[in-house]
Amino acid sequence: MKITNELSILMQLLSKKTNAIQIGATEEEILDTLNIKDKNKSFEFQNLINYLSYHLEPLGLQLRFNPLDDHWFLTFDYDTTDVISANPFKDQPRLGATLFYTLACCFSNSGVGKIDEIRNLRKKKFVIEDLKELEKLGYLKIDKYNGDVRLTSLIGYTLDLNALFMKIALKLKEE
Amino acid sequence: MEEGEEINEMLSIKIDEIQKQVKSGKINILNYELVSIFTELQKTINVNYLDKNSKTYMKACNLLEKKFEELRKLLGSLDNEKKFIEYLKLDPDDGEINQLFDMCWRTTFNLDPLSLEFLEASRKKLGKLEKKSYNIEHLKMSRKSGEYFILSVPEQGFSDHLLEFYDSTIEKLPCFFDEIFDGEHDQIKIYEKFVYILHLLQLGKIKFQKETNTLYI
Repeated sequence: MKITNELSILMQLLSKKTNAIQIGATEEEILDTLNIKDKNKSFEFQNLINYLSYHLEPLGLQLRFNPLDDHWFLTFDYDTTDVISANPFKDQPRLGATLFYTLACCFSNSGVGKIDEIRNLRKKKFVIEDLKELEKLGYLKIDKYNGDVRLTSLIGYTLDLNALFMKIALKLKEE
Repeated sequence: MEEGEEINEMLSIKIDEIQKQVKSGKINILNYELVSIFTELQKTINVNYLDKNSKTYMKACNLLEKKFEELRKLLGSLDNEKKFIEYLKLDPDDGEINQLFDMCWRTTFNLDPLSLEFLEASRKKLGKLEKKSYNIEHLKMSRKSGEYFILSVPEQGFSDHLLEFYDSTIEKLPCFFDEIFDGEHDQIKIYEKFVYILHLLQLGKIKFQKETNTLYI
């Protein structure tokens, strides 16, 4: 099972960029490509993932899961590589804050946020412009007819949601 | 008092101090790094004062348990979306919100040229390089004239046979252990091959994974 060929295929599947907002592969795609069809396939999959993760660690890579589109993918490990975790909104705090409000609205409404709700919470005039800018960057999709905002899977790849949730929880605790 | 025992005492005092500060609310246990305590503790373990080590270890575990308890509470509070929205209703400034984002971003590893063809070619190249660097030296056997040697030395040395076997086998790898003997019915030949495998395993030129019964390079 754990031979070079399988790891080569896994590396290829997990590092490929399908489109601008999708990277890697789902469990089904991986199992299908490796032709693993027996009844213990989930167990086999976990074994493969663990094995690959073990071998990737010394290379400074980490295996991750995007809950927004169920894709497995690879990221750089900041502890062992020189890659820095740069905040893309460091020079655009306004845009970053609008994204944050959008995340809050979407997560509290099963993934779909209302533009009006974001605007009411944000209490700023430029919300629509910011949302359009965020759409250009690929983070969300605007449905102007229904007034909805839907997050794309890109946020699940580039933002460590668990880390963010933890920081929010700590912040709330402080407050 | 030995140095390790002294460090152990200091750790014990340090843990007591942390517990006091946590109880008084001076520090939040969730913000306190406990890994260093356990690492230090691990270094001081000694059979001569194992009872003291155990007591300090128990104290450290109690602290860790407290941290887990706090974390559990914290994760429980995450479900409360009202609180989340309430925080935003306080109208925090953009800078404060962006601070929450800091250290939460990650860089994905996506490499389109990493095609299967590229990986396969790389594997073959690496295999060839490894093969070139491997050179089995011939055994040196000195026999003075007139000396009787009970075993006759064959014209082709053992190393030659081993190298020949290695060259013919390397192409098959990785493969199951049994596959090496495929098509071989002569018991002597099977035994010979088995001996070569043992030698190559000992030399570290090939490897064996017991769980999958696989021989690989």
